[in-house]
Amino acid sequence: MDSRLQVVCFGLLLASFVAHADIQLDAQQAYPIVFADNLSEDDYLGELPKVLTVSRLSQSIADSPSAVTVIDRATIRASGAVDIPELFRLVPGMYVGANAGYVYNTNYAVSYHGMNTAYPGNMQVLINGRSVYTPLFGGVKWSELPIALMDIERIEVTRGPNAASYGANAFAATVNILTSTPSETPANTVLATHGNGRNEAFYRHAGKTGDLAYRVTTGYRQDDGLDDRNDFKRTRFANAQADYQLNLNNYLEFEFGLTEGARGEGNAQEDNIVFLPRTKQMNNYYGLARWKHQLSETSDFQLQAYHSYDRSDDETTSVNLRPLIALISPILAASLVSDSIYINNEVITERTDIEAQHIFGLGATIRAVWGASVRQDTTYAPHYLGNKKTDKFNLQRLFGHVEWRPHAMWTLNTGAMLEHNDFTGTDISPRASLNFKPHPNHALRLGISSALRTPNYVEEKFNQKYAIATTLVVPRLVLQQVLANKGNVNPEQIISRDLGYVGKLGGVQLDARIFSDEITEVIRLDERTDFTVPADVLLVNPTNVDTGLNSGSAKVEGFELQTNWKIGTRTNLLLNHSHMRIRETQNGLSRNFTKSMPVNTLSAMLTHDFKNGWDASLAYYQSSETTQLGDGDPVGLTRRCDVRVARKFNTSRWNGEVSAVVENLFNTHYEEFADYNTLNRRARVNLRLDF
Amino acid sequence: MLKHQKKWVANLLASFTLALVLFVPYFAQAYTGITIVMSAPTDSNLEFVEAFKLELMNARSTNLRVKVIDLSEVEKLVVAENSELVIALGVRALEASSKLKLTTPVLGVFTPLPTFNSLLVNSKRMLGNFSAIVLDQPYSRRFSLIKTVLPEAKNLGVLLGPDSSSDMDDIREVGESAQFNILQESIQLQTDLIPHLTTLLGVSDALMAVPDSLVYTRETVQPILLTSYRHQKPVFGFSQSYVRAGALAAVYSSSKQLAKQAAEISIKSQQLSSILPPPQAPKYFSVALNYQVARSLNIQIADENVINKKMLALEGQP
Repeated sequence: MDSRLQVVCFGLLLASFVAHADIQLDAQQAYPIVFADNLSEDDYLGELPKVLTVSRLSQSIADSPSAVTVIDRATIRASGAVDIPELFRLVPGMYVGANAGYVYNTNYAVSYHGMNTAYPGNMQVLINGRSVYTPLFGGVKWSELPIALMDIERIEVTRGPNAASYGANAFAATVNILTSTPSETPANTVLATHGNGRNEAFYRHAGKTGDLAYRVTTGYRQDDGLDDRNDFKRTRFANAQADYQLNLNNYLEFEFGLTEGARGEGNAQEDNIVFLPRTKQMNNYYGLARWKHQLSETSDFQLQAYHSYDRSDDETTSVNLRPLIALISPILAASLVSDSIYINNEVITERTDIEAQHIFGLGATIRAVWGASVRQDTTYAPHYLGNKKTDKFNLQRLFGHVEWRPHAMWTLNTGAMLEHNDFTGTDISPRASLNFKPHPNHALRLGISSALRTPNYVEEKFNQKYAIATTLVVPRLVLQQVLANKGNVNPEQIISRDLGYVGKLGGVQLDARIFSDEITEVIRLDERTDFTVPADVLLVNPTNVDTGLNSGSAKVEGFELQTNWKIGTRTNLLLNHSHMRIRETQNGLSRNFTKSMPVNTLSAMLTHDFKNGWDASLAYYQSSETTQLGDGDPVGLTRRCDVRVARKFNTSRWNGEVSAVVENLFNTHYEEFADYNTLNRRARVNLRLDF
Repeated sequence: MLKHQKKWVANLLASFTLALVLFVPYFAQAYTGITIVMSAPTDSNLEFVEAFKLELMNARSTNLRVKVIDLSEVEKLVVAENSELVIALGVRALEASSKLKLTTPVLGVFTPLPTFNSLLVNSKRMLGNFSAIVLDQPYSRRFSLIKTVLPEAKNLGVLLGPDSSSDMDDIREVGESAQFNILQESIQLQTDLIPHLTTLLGVSDALMAVPDSLVYTRETVQPILLTSYRHQKPVFGFSQSYVRAGALAAVYSSSKQLAKQAAEISIKSQQLSSILPPPQAPKYFSVALNYQVARSLNIQIADENVINKKMLALEGQP
């Protein structure tokens, strides 16, 4: 029996005696027992804000229309990664290559199921529902994101087209990065990392005043990039998030972030004429507001608006061009009005997006979401677009998705997105899947999903050239035209079919699928045959002017396996494998298209929690040979092993952790994406304090 | 907390009987009417009053009159102290009623057990004329709900705070006899909430919430439910509101059910020279389930009625 109650009973008896004898004795004084008298009926009966609203509840993976990989906090921590894209090595079917090529260095070339370039644009990437790919090339400048890895709660990767939910660009896969809410964050956190080529420090503060919970993170990152490349980055950033519970049914969320810093650009081995090694400045910011309104127990409305701005201030002056032109004609060389050309490669992109969605349940069997959004992207890129105008790209969307569960064993998902944009007009991307769950631990999925990829500015609107005037009448201008887009490129189309299994066998969680992706109207950059210049302009590359166009079709077929094995309570093994082949089904693909995804990729991560606060993880990544597109080179089989050891400690004031990470433990020489991207063994130590 | 119910009740009964034998003359103050004192006219209180009156009417065996006082509308609580049984709805009402003449029997409803204990001592009242139907469901009942809803759950996480930490032994004892492995973390500061919760979720199959004014509040409901959801671990709440907010399931007693029990006590105690039974757990209960959460966590659960029936069968109730 509870000692408290024993004392109460004894006290009562004694008090009864005393009371009977008409002598007052303060029981509390006589028995100084502290009781919890701060609990009231309100703690049991009081209304609580609805936390897991229909919009917050995601579909169970067993009911999902697509294959999903979840990278949670524990996995992020165990991986020892300091850059977000490194985590995608744990996603079966994904290729990750750190690349320091021409511009935006080092950026990661990340793509799913091939078709990867230095500027890949076939994935939708969202941070808390905000689309972060750049309108310029449709990909993500990963290091420019105002986000700290420590604020990320989980990353959900939908493998396969997901346009019905996320629109065009959710072509090959969708990456949804979710940060932790301020209310889940410790009051103060300091994180510092020191290691080969990398130093960074972050400070985060979280608090709550009344119904407002907030979090502010600031940080400085010094990244020396890859070995022997001019790709250093010095980045300062700040990010803030605030949640305001207006009342039981209304919730407001705000986000704000900014980044700025210097970047090393240009590598003489790749370009020793125009874009020479130099330092550029970048800065960006974004603001987001979201209103969540609970209409009923089973119905939520959400309105979200955000604006983002990104600027890259890049100027360059070429080498003396006279000796080069002299190879064509010494007279022409002598007639140039200047020795070199100056290029203003400033790029400013902005995005404004407003989206409304309504999620609701109909009875016990139907869950549906529908909504609409409008977006405007603007791009100012005088060098790339060939003019000083700010180009506008408008996008309107209407989407709907229904999950119907007629029986506990069956789930039918259907959905579609109707889109209209300035480049390709109106299109629709439907999707359907049928999930069969004969047992709560075993589910089979048969799915078909289509998506479109809208051509990006590189493919649709680039007019990139180098021009230098002469003192002559003819030619008055010497021109090298790099890209001269004809425009009117159709969207690239994918229809993906898959048969998947999601289940649990003892301690092993298994996700396996076989898939077949049919890609038509493939967009590529190819020689433009009809490019003409005025008679008084000398085009130095008449057979080498590119344009974006649709050409060829392909099929990607293979299987993927994802396992999570809980070996006892302290040990865990993640094991992922993909095997696929790309076939050309209609002529016209670029030369290395079918080699743009390694046939086999393997990733494994073993984590073990030792006693006394020690834990360790060992990761292994392997991918077979590949030749990536757009700036990529043939690279051979790569093998890499990373190790992380950590020690947690707790004092009454601090919770903390010290960890050490070694990447490429065996110092295996390997190249990623292109032959110039090498990374030798690197080590880092990391200290984290929560207080 | 109504903890380890059997032992608790046995001990309490022993003390009660002893007190009764020794001091019967002190208690005797037969009541002919009932005054219901409400802390405030909340929905649950009003529903209680209505259901209580109906129960008395249906009982026929009694002619107890019912008066209702809304504490938020009177300056001073005035009750016909020598002829009334006072049923206090809510902590504030119970506190005010505890200051009435010591001979006036007071039955608290909508009161947490720790608060009742505290009032009992502070008011210098005695069991026998001061009792309650507490809000806390017995742990045995809470464990049978978890067993019924999630039969495969073995490791249960329990996060305790200053109010609830003394319950640990009872939770462990009852939990282990129900074949659960109880994993526990205790916190003294709200800043420790998430780290300890995260540790707990890493090793538990589900989390069982225990009322505590530091751990389970209106402010912490979001981080607790979100963090648990992210770990894909269900939470078993202790109230209907917790289930609405996002817990998977809870046992609770509705105002009607509490009114039924209170009516039974009122009638029986009148016949027993107005001596109230010891504080007791809710006898009648319902089960609240959150099907949307279940669906999202890929947990297949039976219909509420089926689970209710199973639970009743487990307790030997019809």
